[in-house]
Amino acid sequence: MAGDDMVRVAVDQELCIGGGICEMLEPEVFELDNDIVISSVTGDGLLPRARADVVVDRCPSRAIAIVEEEL
Amino acid sequence: MASAATVETPNVTDPSLYLQGIPHDRFARIRATPSLAWHPYENGGFWAVTRHAEVRHVSRNPELFSSAIGHTNLWDLEADALEARRSLIDTDAPDHTRLRRLVAGAFTPKNIRRWEETVRAITGELLDEFVAQGGGDWVDMVAAPLPIQVILTMLGVPTDDADYLVELSNYLVEGTGDAQSIPPDAFGNTTELRLLPFNSPASHALFEYGEGMRQQRQDDLRDDLVSHLVRAESDVERMSRNEYRNMFHLLVFAGNETTRTAISHGALALAANPDEWQRVLDDPSMIESASEEILRWSTPILHMRRTATADTELAGTEIAEGDKVVMWYASANRDEAVFEDPDKFDVGRFDVGRANSDHFAFGGGGPHLCLGAFLARLEVNVLLEEMAKRSICLEQTSEPVRARSNFVHGVLSVGMRPAGGSN
Ligand code: HEM
Ligand code: SF4
Repeated sequence: MAGDDMVRVAVDQELCIGGGICEMLEPEVFELDNDIVISSVTGDGLLPRARADVVVDRCPSRAIAIVEEEL
Repeated sequence: MASAATVETPNVTDPSLYLQGIPHDRFARIRATPSLAWHPYENGGFWAVTRHAEVRHVSRNPELFSSAIGHTNLWDLEADALEARRSLIDTDAPDHTRLRRLVAGAFTPKNIRRWEETVRAITGELLDEFVAQGGGDWVDMVAAPLPIQVILTMLGVPTDDADYLVELSNYLVEGTGDAQSIPPDAFGNTTELRLLPFNSPASHALFEYGEGMRQQRQDDLRDDLVSHLVRAESDVERMSRNEYRNMFHLLVFAGNETTRTAISHGALALAANPDEWQRVLDDPSMIESASEEILRWSTPILHMRRTATADTELAGTEIAEGDKVVMWYASANRDEAVFEDPDKFDVGRFDVGRANSDHFAFGGGGPHLCLGAFLARLEVNVLLEEMAKRSICLEQTSEPVRARSNFVHGVLSVGMRPAGGSN
């Protein structure tokens, strides 16, 4: 599995605490809603695996997961 | 529970130890034991979690390691006291998620960036005064006023009251130790101390202050954080009156005391390691890494406690439901398994790229990860930038006076003098 395979990520909005680390790391993929302060995936949610692993790891509340592998 | 076979754990909770600084040698001995160490405390004890990997595990598994049971400080609270004092810090999901979302929006990296010019203006003024006076008490002149003025501005609290609120914070720090210098009825307090955060009458004063702000904003909503909280508080589904007062208390205390500590220890480290500061002056692109190193080095909050919700295992140690588990950030930040030469202050240590650092000054991750992390980083970064711009090198002129506390790594005062840079 190379780190540049594309994978799809998703946010579990129940778990999200709205810290915005995902939006800082991957502004093209995550966006925080300004009123409810919950992250969601914009567009198709595709990221190279290595970068997806970083953002999954950095999300403090384990709200981000890889939902589809090796697209 | 403690197994009889447990080797005696060096004491790391005696507050008077911390008058000489963090007992790093004792933590190193605990880290070297492969299992978790059982540390006696009052009538029971706790599991001392001292390694980076295990602090991370506890932080990131809140279902197993609760913040809502007992207390997040070392000692247990009685049920009524816990309820009266409960803030964001002492909750689990779903209460935690509800409360955290009320304030999260103001502290995202994107929204914190908007405060940069405010922080820069405050910092520049304080540094210019420090230089004009030829130095003095670094805590009084820079480390304390900078973060309190910033958080008060965000809250919408008049910065004229900064000195008073710093004074209250100092008494709260005393409350984390074992010696309070003010009587139980100080500030007109009539509440039993056990019902007040840090058992301190200063908490009564801070609650009163927050209530005054609430009443003012109720009829005059503005675009500030207090108004935002008052709006939420008007709907009890979102936030109760008691949650409001504890949130206000937490934002004022956590928003100033911790960053003050980082800036105080930062000055001590830069003065003691002039070559490291020279590296930053020679290459300002190192500032972000230097700030992270200051945060690791200072570890303003020494530990947080959790309570096991079920029998579980960590580091080959059986933890029973109800056991206290204490994460010592002060130790994880010196873990030789993660940080090369951990007792060296090295401004180039962190490769601050997009994926950022893994010191645990802001906690080990998990939902309670410090709300103010990006604000604190902004403050430390801007301070270093403004010092570099003015070529200020610090010379220490007196020994630091440290807080008598095993919870906050506080510095009460330390003399510093500005010397010109060599470039
Ligand atoms: C260098 C400065 C700071 C340090 C070292 C620091 C450290 C910490 C730590 C260790 C925690 C507990 C994390 C955990 O339990 O996992 C925490 C939580 C918190 N901090 Fe900070 N903090 C700093 C600055 C700030 C600032 C500027 C604010 C401003 C509002 C703030 C507000 C909070 C709040 C509200 C919490 C509770 C979060 C929760 O339980 O969800 N902190 N901080
Ligand atoms: S990093 Fe995780 S918790 Fe933070 S906003 Fe993104 S999804 Fe939510």
